Amino acid sequence: MGSVLALSSTSGHQNWPFSTEPTPSRWDAHPAHWDSPPRWERRDGRLPNPGSFHSLHRSCKDVFPQQIEGVKMIVNKTLSSFFKVSHALHLSAVSPSYYRFHVEHLQSDDYSKDKDAPALIGEMDSSGSLNAHALLHLTERVRARTVFQTQQSQFVTWQFETEYRGNDFTAAVTVANPDVLKESVILVAHFLQSVTSGLVLGGELVYHRGRAEEGGILTLAGQYSRPNWVATLNAGKGGAHASYYHRANKQIQVGVEFEASTRTQETTTSFGYQMELPEANMVFRGMINSRCIIGGVLEKRLTPLPATLIMGAFVNHRGDKLQVGLGVNIG
Amino acid sequence: MIDRCFYQYFLVHRPTSHSSSSVVLREFNFRLHRPLQITTMGSVLAASSPSPAPPTPGGAAGPGLTVPPGFGMPPVSSIIPQTGDASGQQQETESSLPNPGAFDECHRKCKEVFPMQMEGVRLVVNKGLSNYFQVNHTVLLSSVGDSSYRFGATYVGSKQMGPAESFPVMVGDMDNSGSLNAQIIHQLANRIRSKVAFQTQQQKFVNWQADAEFKGDDFTATITLGNPDVLSGSGIVVTHYLQSITPALALGGELVYHRRPAEEGAVMSLVGRYTGSNYIATLTLGSAGAHASYYHKANDQLQVGVEFEASARMQDTSVSFGYQLDVPKANLQFKGSVDSNWIVGATLEKKLLPLPLSLVLCSFLNHRKNKFQCGFGVTIG
Repeated sequence: MGSVLALSSTSGHQNWPFSTEPTPSRWDAHPAHWDSPPRWERRDGRLPNPGSFHSLHRSCKDVFPQQIEGVKMIVNKTLSSFFKVSHALHLSAVSPSYYRFHVEHLQSDDYSKDKDAPALIGEMDSSGSLNAHALLHLTERVRARTVFQTQQSQFVTWQFETEYRGNDFTAAVTVANPDVLKESVILVAHFLQSVTSGLVLGGELVYHRGRAEEGGILTLAGQYSRPNWVATLNAGKGGAHASYYHRANKQIQVGVEFEASTRTQETTTSFGYQMELPEANMVFRGMINSRCIIGGVLEKRLTPLPATLIMGAFVNHRGDKLQVGLGVNIG
Repeated sequence: MIDRCFYQYFLVHRPTSHSSSSVVLREFNFRLHRPLQITTMGSVLAASSPSPAPPTPGGAAGPGLTVPPGFGMPPVSSIIPQTGDASGQQQETESSLPNPGAFDECHRKCKEVFPMQMEGVRLVVNKGLSNYFQVNHTVLLSSVGDSSYRFGATYVGSKQMGPAESFPVMVGDMDNSGSLNAQIIHQLANRIRSKVAFQTQQQKFVNWQADAEFKGDDFTATITLGNPDVLSGSGIVVTHYLQSITPALALGGELVYHRRPAEEGAVMSLVGRYTGSNYIATLTLGSAGAHASYYHKANDQLQVGVEFEASARMQDTSVSFGYQLDVPKANLQFKGSVDSNWIVGATLEKKLLPLPLSLVLCSFLNHRKNKFQCGFGVTIG
């Protein structure tokens, strides 16, 4: 799963607590703009479109708390129904502090936030790192997405994706980091097909080519969803990723995830839960890991101010490390 | 003014204190009981309840006395036998001059305005078992140091000296690594209060001291014996004397004598404190350095403090500015500080009614060294 995860726009495990890799400069809260609503909400007699391949594990991943460290202040400002701007200031003890400016321009104001919305999104760091996404609806069924990411002045990602949404299937082709000079490219093809109203089967084929080597990895994916739970499995030569999401009641959601990677030769099991208390304007997410990591993040809306307070802590018992984070979101 | 509550009151009424309780010891605040002649000063100080200070005031740390950081102890005050004529003077002084308070409390009002640095996650659970006995558990998960669990117990006796004071007071604190902190405070006679304190770092005793404080009508005299060691012939003797000259002005001095087998020495410093209608200015001058502080109470909600410290031993000076903002309606207390060492810090404390819960958020930023620290804590009970 290694190479696919690198391309994935979901920020699940790259930002996993205490990872030794440097945090990639992409924004943490990946907006669910361009993924369709959860599958169990679409019941119109026909087989629904299965959504995109990236969002197969999304419902389970959303239950887990995001890693939080240091003090972060985010000010969101909506300039118009098309244009949104946000300033983020992050003071951190373990990584360099930064200021980040984020801009979203929606192509049309017909869409609400959680539907697919064609948009231009850009983000610039105080160190000069850029993150740019463009999502376009070329036709009613064809979407194109372009992603550019730089680490200061050097481009680390440039990829182009085209997705076709049929009546009950989705097919996507992604070209990632094509480099004519180095003769390297990564091609990813996704296919998802709704087999029954609850079952989705599909696969992913990754072909990577460099100057010295080339190879392909095939992964098969399956997802079964009921009104209250969703079970997903990705299995291939690169590893396996299984997740189970369960909605116990209006307030409690639970997720269990299992990941195995043949590249790093290790497996991880995580258990997470999300508790919502709408009367108290509070959401709590907790997580426990087979790597002996325990974490919890509390989000509280401070009515009547348009502010949200976020407090979180992650403890790695094995390495005896603690990370504490505070955040304020305004607007 | 923050209502600092004595622990007996604390046991019975269980207020959630706004006190910046140290990780190691909960600060115990004595409400000095003065007879009804008080407060011609009408100052903030008269009703103030001083809280414990480290036993070695600025510049007086002798070489044999090592106090581990955070191990603050209640102030030590005792009788001075040396100024025998001082006790004779007290009969000549007017009875309208108030007692100036303990020596260690001079800079206390200003220091309380500053936020206390904390990091990691802290959980404190206080439980009152009876009117006399209270127990607290502290779990500290630290991001830079070691995490610890600390168990503390407090016993307050039944000898009532006033509406809010009872003696003896016994406070003990034990760490998960075995470090102990223990104090016994007792009122021996009407005007004499004594304290005995012990501190260990795991199994080794690092601090053991005894002191006695005599509160005259308009003066306070204290003698402290620190780490006396008969076998090696070492020890530290600290004597304090503070005298009210006018209702607003108090002058005093401190003499520290330390002795080790190879050497002995003495350090002396003088203290002056002037209390105005809504401000207190204090100055400590000695051969070890200078310490000046100014505390100003702007209104019911805002208090401001400025502090200047110069140390001859470390050859450096620092200036700090701090303020405290109370919003009782929101059950909020905010403290902020700016330093000449390019350190900016803030603490926010909020009582989460109706739960007996208090939340503390804290963050400090050292611009010069580019270091950042943040932490939060929850106090239950």
